[in-house]
Amino acid sequence: MTKDEDRGGDLQRSLNAFQENIRRAGPAALAGYTLIGAILLLGGIGYAIDRWRGTSHWFLLAGLLAGLVVGFYELARTVWRSGGPPRE
Amino acid sequence: MAFQEPAAEHLAGAAAETFNAGRTILEHVSNSSREHPLIHLPTLAGIDFSVTKHVLMLWLVAGTVFVLVTWAIRRYLRQDRLVPSGFMNALEAIVEFVRDSIVLPNVGKKWVNTWTPLVLTLFIFIVSANAIGLIPIFDVLGVLNHWVLHAGEESFIVRVMHGGSTATANFNVTAALATITFLAIIVAGTKAHGFVKHWENLVPHGLAAPIYVILIPIELMGMFVRPFALTMRLAANMTGGHIAILAILSFVFLFTERFGTAIAGIGVGFVLSVPMAFGISLLEIIVVLVQAYVFSLLTAVFIGMAIHVHH
Repeated sequence: MTKDEDRGGDLQRSLNAFQENIRRAGPAALAGYTLIGAILLLGGIGYAIDRWRGTSHWFLLAGLLAGLVVGFYELARTVWRSGGPPRE
Repeated sequence: MAFQEPAAEHLAGAAAETFNAGRTILEHVSNSSREHPLIHLPTLAGIDFSVTKHVLMLWLVAGTVFVLVTWAIRRYLRQDRLVPSGFMNALEAIVEFVRDSIVLPNVGKKWVNTWTPLVLTLFIFIVSANAIGLIPIFDVLGVLNHWVLHAGEESFIVRVMHGGSTATANFNVTAALATITFLAIIVAGTKAHGFVKHWENLVPHGLAAPIYVILIPIELMGMFVRPFALTMRLAANMTGGHIAILAILSFVFLFTERFGTAIAGIGVGFVLSVPMAFGISLLEIIVVLVQAYVFSLLTAVFIGMAIHVHH
């Protein structure tokens, strides 16, 4: 095997490893984003309801709490689903 | 005194012209102003259809992708030999990659041909929109206008230079893409299990009744949170890289202003800003690909979750 072929093979292996890492990290990264997203989305909805109804922060607090619950639930689901979906 | 008034005006003018890095960066990543759209269109049912910079970029990306892909495929179908070449070869490699590496492992053999077109379209559109944002088309146009064209302030050329050129850095665009994913999840579940069964599959079976009172609202909220996370992730990543590059480049102007000489700015630019901005731009090329890949992958994962239910 020539040096160029060897270098090409290394690059190919690196790219494959990089792709594999991203493929595996994708759902895990989503769990992190879902946790923050749930808190932001539901907290935001709570804040909007507070502004609309003139209530002082009760809906914001409820939204943040609901966001935490939903976010952690989604996180737990991602962790539990470690095997991944089956190939048919 | 009479001479003090012009001096005061000059000072006020100079203060107004002070380089504001935050404002400049925001103007370069956000959409152009809705008050001064690029193309005026009528308001229908309370919705202003006027074209802003990001809408123009969306049209540009969609048009370019449509023309290029249609042209390559028509040319391939007209030729006698089956082996593709040139652009069609690259296109075929992308199609195979999306089908075999993204869709197939998640949705399975039975549904791969049903969902590959959607995921492929999302992938190619997002890659193209991300990549066009990296090419400094409008900055080159600005330099051309400054030295050659000298277009007026209200001309289309000057207006098109305002605002960022990465459509996927706009939360509305990514929200629309995530809405497509959201609807695809429902359609996938419905096609695989039927409408009622799909909604029943949202929660695990065989639990005590009081648990469902808690679980059903959590699952329903989770349904909306997942596309929201997709929306945030793509737009935030695309905006973040551009902000980093612009912040580093703004050192040139900040140092020029701080030390009152252009040499300080050029020195910082030469030693720090340009090499770092170059490095981050190289990283951005990876980000452009990775973000499109992750969006497509997660769409396939969600569709797969709706088809193969696990609790």
